[in-house]
Formats: sequence, structure tokens, C-alpha cells
Amino acid sequence: MANYGFSSYHPAVNFLFFAAVLLFSMFFLHPVLLGISFFSALAYAVRLNGWRTLRFCLTALLPMAVLVAFLNPAFNHDGVTVLVYVNDNPITLESVCYGLAAAVLFSSVILWFSCYNAVMTSDKFLHLFGRVLPSLSLLFSMCLRFVPRFKGQTKVIAQAQRGIGLDPGEGGPLRRAKKGMHILSILTTWALENAVDTADSMKARGYGLKGRTSFSLYRFGRRDRAALLFLLALVVLVGWGALLGEATLQYFPRLSGKEITGRSLVLYGGYALLCLTPLILDAKEAVAWRRSQWKS
Amino acid sequence: MAAVTVEKLTFSYPQRETPALRQVSLSVEEGEFLVLCGKSGCGKTTLLRHLKPALTPHGERTGEIALFGRPLSSLSAREQAARIGFVLQNPDNQLVTDKVWHELAFGLESLGMHPDVIRLRVAEMASFFGIGPWFHKNVSDLSGGQKQLLNLASIMAMQPELLLLDEPTSQLDPIAAAEFLQTVRKINRELGVAVLLTEHRLEEAVPMADRVVVMEEGAILVDGPPREAGERLRERGHGLFSSMPAPLQIGAALHAPSPCPLTVREGRRFLSGLFAGRPPEIVQLQEPAAQKKGGKAAVRLKDVWFRYEKNGPDVVKDLSLTVEEGSLFAVMGQNGAGKTTFLTLLTGQNRPVRGKVWVLDQEVGRYKGGALFRRCLAMLPQNPQALFVKKTIREDLMEMLREVPQRQAEERLLQTARLTRIEGLLDVHPYDVSGGEQQRAALAKVLLLEPKVLLLDEPTKGLDNQYKEILGGILKDLCRQGATVLLVSHDIEFCARYADQCALFFDGTIVSRGEPRVFFSGNRFYTTAANRMARHLFRQAVTNEEVIALCRKNGVSPCEPC
Repeated sequence: MANYGFSSYHPAVNFLFFAAVLLFSMFFLHPVLLGISFFSALAYAVRLNGWRTLRFCLTALLPMAVLVAFLNPAFNHDGVTVLVYVNDNPITLESVCYGLAAAVLFSSVILWFSCYNAVMTSDKFLHLFGRVLPSLSLLFSMCLRFVPRFKGQTKVIAQAQRGIGLDPGEGGPLRRAKKGMHILSILTTWALENAVDTADSMKARGYGLKGRTSFSLYRFGRRDRAALLFLLALVVLVGWGALLGEATLQYFPRLSGKEITGRSLVLYGGYALLCLTPLILDAKEAVAWRRSQWKS
Repeated sequence: MAAVTVEKLTFSYPQRETPALRQVSLSVEEGEFLVLCGKSGCGKTTLLRHLKPALTPHGERTGEIALFGRPLSSLSAREQAARIGFVLQNPDNQLVTDKVWHELAFGLESLGMHPDVIRLRVAEMASFFGIGPWFHKNVSDLSGGQKQLLNLASIMAMQPELLLLDEPTSQLDPIAAAEFLQTVRKINRELGVAVLLTEHRLEEAVPMADRVVVMEEGAILVDGPPREAGERLRERGHGLFSSMPAPLQIGAALHAPSPCPLTVREGRRFLSGLFAGRPPEIVQLQEPAAQKKGGKAAVRLKDVWFRYEKNGPDVVKDLSLTVEEGSLFAVMGQNGAGKTTFLTLLTGQNRPVRGKVWVLDQEVGRYKGGALFRRCLAMLPQNPQALFVKKTIREDLMEMLREVPQRQAEERLLQTARLTRIEGLLDVHPYDVSGGEQQRAALAKVLLLEPKVLLLDEPTKGLDNQYKEILGGILKDLCRQGATVLLVSHDIEFCARYADQCALFFDGTIVSRGEPRVFFSGNRFYTTAANRMARHLFRQAVTNEEVIALCRKNGVSPCEPC
């Protein structure tokens, strides 16, 4: 799903979205907002990573969430509505609710991060922050080049050694460690040797001249500007609602929140729109594609 | 105006007695294509690096170098970065960034160009070099040939007026190498960029060149158009003559009237002219020796199938093969045909999905605990460097002799060093010797296992002709001593010259095999240049020497008027 709909927008749009959504998700404990965030994150993660996401949810996320949900009432005995006593310790309704809320919060943040990873690839990140520190962005790119090469060479050496009966994975632990050290030492030599060539290649192409610029493939177009403004407006709306206390629910000592008014509905709506932006944009793209295929 | 003029350049590296360059004078005209050749260590790389100030080595120098009439030293760093392009030997080491598009932009970023200008230049380069389909890829996903093309493209993006290339194809397979050289030629022809290329793959580079310059021991020996340079080399009996294109060698040996043939097309015409009106009487040197049957099998595969993933494609398909003891068996074929995988089946690194593999009367799977590698089988990998893990070659070789008593070990070490001709290199770091020497040192390490079956993966990659001859000699010696050598290679000329049996590997199996003369004369495309040149006249003439000998036998005397 790379480069489709939302992920094909300018990195600044992507980044603003994730920054906002992650920040809000980390602070909002209001059940409605939690629900919005969680289901949007889940839907988008499924869209990006397919059914693998569900497997991840069931095998990793669910157990962790359950753990969080149980741990809170086990250690936190605040709250006034006692449900049951365990070993003379009160288990309170408030504490159970808080645990559940924390579990959902925790799950949605993780899901948002998994979406972030799929959308904000390293070069997008670099493009955004490379302007601030151009040499850092080059360094990062060089590391991304170096690491797979280093790994590849390790494999080549291990294979070559196996071909003459010196399997680095054979023998006792001491012997294995010794062989491993040999390989590591020669790998260092190898990397340094090659670095001389790389340095030559950089020098030959004028690296070190004053006034280096930073090029990237991304362009900030009209639709990026529109999306950015749309997202900013929603962020302001949600922020304003949160400041007015519409996003707050008191858990302790007793569950208590503001009455749900028109203003809270606006906040909920705005937040839902914000969280669903990527899915909406993807859907828009799908519709646009269908349209373009219609014969006139 | 000359693109480059070098005037009496003498240079010595620090703390060396003999100068690396001696009184070199050379000029490259605007838009000229010049091939610079010579044995390893003749000073060609040193000379090339002198033309690019950023890469010029330190040392003592006298003489003048000028670029388009201006002394090279007066060029600013910015000018010399943009106007002189330099492509190095190793495709991997030159790539700086992780993405193809970023690599293309790297030099332009250094020059501080505006992103919009870079966008245009990058687009131009991607179109000219056909990079479009892999523009968004990671550089680590590219093939060797693509990597080197990318290096070339990222330098051409800076729009240099002079392009210097230091053995750019030595790490590529023949097809990628030919494609690369064609691209260089296209740059030269269509953009008028002056090209100075050092090469050992002269068969392809020389016919493209306007001029060939041969260096020896730091001085220029021959400087002239290709045909003339070839003839002059022959007159001097120079070793490098054997690296020249086959038509030129055959033509010169038969004293072809100048101009000497340079391409297969010209060579064919020349031979046809020799026998115009009187077809050759002797068309074949001798009946090929009847195939020796009944030799003991050193390696045997029976109905072998292999794939890497459960539902993946078959890499080896229904392969049955017997390699007889004491023979030099060459497996040839395209990249990705499964040749290297085939070798891993013999070393037991991979097991066949179906079928059986025997090495010396025992199934590979039955050898336990490294017994397969004890006086039985050993493999020299494609990248011989990967075999070394110690600080000197001696230590590395000693590693193989751990279980042998000290005195005996030293004796064996010396013996092997003598066989592989590395006596003088024992105390050097394995990374500090040339490619050919590294290869032989690696071969020595492998031979200390006393293998009865020796596997080699692309042993001639990156070697010049001189080293190939040495390697061929060593392999022949081994076979004579009763070892079996099985090599996998792209190098048609090498296999034709040295192998006892050749086989063509295609699509996971062997489609044809035979004694080289029979094997190659049965092919129309996949055969030596000499064979392609003479196949309409002679049967089963595969090497240059065979074609020359046949011509002589048919009365083409060596003293016919030139």
C-alpha cells in the first residue's frame, strides 16, 4: 500500500497527521475518543498491512492489553465503588475502568505506530529533517547503504569458510567465538578498505565543496497544501475542544465527566474526521480511479 | 584543441626508488576515445589518477598536465569536480547513498545546484541510461552491471567534458561488461565527451577505440590507432598481444595486409580472401580423441532437483552429470542460470529436494563432521577475498595446517606457495595484494586441504590475461596430478583453452556438453571469436592457435607479402 492515497501525499502532511494523532491518542482517556482512535488505527493498520495486523493484535497486542487492564486494579485501589475484596484489598470499579482505558490507549498508540512505520519511510523522514541538518541526512543514507552491505559480506565470508570446511557455526562455544572474532576483525578491515574507495568516489564528485544542497523527489503540490490546511483546522478544533475540557473524564475518586452537549459532539466529530483522514483520502483515491476508468 | 595534454610527467610514490611514471607525454583530443592498457602495475592507474586532481596520489612529480589548454593546477575544486568524471573499478564501493535517485543527485548536490536543476538533470540521466525501471530501488537490489551503469550515470549527470574510467568492467560478467562499454561508446559518440579508459578486457574495448596506448614500467611503449598498436606489440613480441582481439592476433600472425582485421566481421572477410578460389584442403586438425569412457567418476549427480523455497521456482531441474576423475570440467552459462547453486549442492551447503549427489563414491549427505572437506573436496568462492581471516597470507595458510606437525606444515606451505606462485607474498596482508595474486593465495589456501575435487566459482573474474594463463597452468598441473577440477565460468576463451570438457548450463540443467572443440564448434553464438571467424572454412577450430595452424597447413605461408 505504499504510495497510494494518503501515503502518496507530501511527507509533511504524513508527519503532521501522525504527530497530531499520536499526541492526542496519548492524552485522551475519554472513552468515546479512545474508541474513535482505536478503531481508526485498527482500520488503517489493516488497510496498510493486511490481515497480518489482526494476527499481531491477537497474539501480541491482546495479551499485553489484558495484562495492563488487570495490573491496574491489582495495584491501584483508589476509587469509591468497591466491587470485591481480594486479600483484603479492594478492587474498585473506577480502577477497573481506568485499567481498561489505559489498555485501549496503549493498543491504539501501538497501532498508530505500526501505521507510522509503514507510511513514514526513512527517506520521507530524511526529507523533512534533512533540510535542518543536511550532513545528518547524508550520514543516515550512507548508514542505510552500509548496514545491508556489511551483513551481506558477513554471509559471503561465512559461506566461503564453509566451502573449505571451516564452518563458523561448528565446534564448541569457545571455538565458535574465536572464529566469530576472526570474521569480525576481517570484516572491519574489509569495511575500512572499501571506505577508501567510497571516499575517493565522494571526493571525485565534489563532496566537501561549499554550499551543498539537498535534493529529494517529493514535491509540495496543491493537494498537499489542501490536506495540510484541512488537518491543521481539525487539530485546532480538537485542541480547542480539549482545552474546554470536553475530552476529559474524571476516573478518580468517582467516574465523572461533563454532560454531552452539542459542543462535545463537534469535538467527537472533528476527532473522528482527523483519525479517519488517511482512510478517507484512500477511499477518495479509489473513487477517483474508478471514475477515470469509466468510459464516457 | 586537446582535451588533455600531459607533458613529460614523472612521478614517484614516497619512499620508492623506481618512479611509477617516467617521462610520460600524452594527449587526448577533444571527443577522442582512448584505451590505455598494460600489465597490472604498469602505472596506468597512477597516470589516470593524475588527470583528476582530487584523486592524485601524493609523491614527487615533475612535468605539466593541462586540461583544454589550462594547467590542471589552476582549476578550482568546483571546476575539476564537474569537468572531469572518474569511474572506479569496484561498482559497490563507489555507491555512496542507499537509493538510486539519491545516487544520481549526489554530485549535483555537492555542486550546490538548485533542486529544480537537479530534478531535470536526474531525469535526463535516467532516460539516457535507461534507469527508469529501477529509479526508485535501493542500490543494494541492483545487479553488478546496473550498479556500474549507475556510477557512470551519476558522474555523467555532472556533465563532464573528460571521462576517466579505471578498469570499470573487471568485476562484471561479459554481458554486463559489453553493455557497459557500449554505453561508454554511446556517450563518446553522441555527446562528444573525451574518454580515457584502462581495461584488460581488450577484445571489446580495442575495436571501439580511436587510439590505443600501451604502458610498461611507467613509460609509454606504444601509442597509435588500434591496428597499428596491435602490429607494433606483435613485432616486439609483447605479452599483452595475447590480450588483443582474436581477429587482430590471427591476422597479425598470418601477416594480413594492413589494415589488419579488428572485428570478427573483418576477420571473416580476411580469411575468406585468403582462400578465395581455392577452398582449404585440410579443414580439421585431427579427429577429436574418442571420448575416454570408463574413467572413475569423481562427481556424480543423478536426477537432481533443487529449489530454495517450498513453493519457489526450481533452480536446478532434473540434472544428471558425471565428471570423470582427473578432468578439468567447465560449466558455462548465463547469470542466474543456477550455476552457483549447483556448486552448493556439491559442497553440501544445500541438499537436493530430489535426486542424489555423490562425491568420490559416497553420497554428499553421508560425509559427517567435515569429512567431506578432508582430502576430498574444496571450493574456491567467487570472491576469493572472503577466504582470508588473518593478518598475513602465511597465517591464513597455516590455519589450514593446524593438525600437521610444525616442520611438515612449513614444508607443505612452501610447496603449495611454489605451485601457486605466491612465494614472495607470504608475509603480506591478504588485502594488500592485487586481484590476481589474491586469487592465487586463496587457491593456495584451498589446496592445502589436498582436495581430490576442486570447485571454482568464476575463477577468472577480474583477472588480466597474464594471470589467466598462470591460473590455467596451475589448474592443468593439478589435473595431471590426478585431481578433478570443476569450474563454473562465463569466460568462453578461458574454458576453450584449458578445459577437457565443457558444458552449457541453462535454466537449471545442462543442455549440452562435450570436449571443447566439439562443444564450441556446435555453437553458433556461444563460442570463441576465433571459431566465429573461421567456422565457414574449418571444422572444430576453436582457439586462435588452431585457426593459425590450419591456415599454415593449407599453405598460407607466414612470409606472404604484407
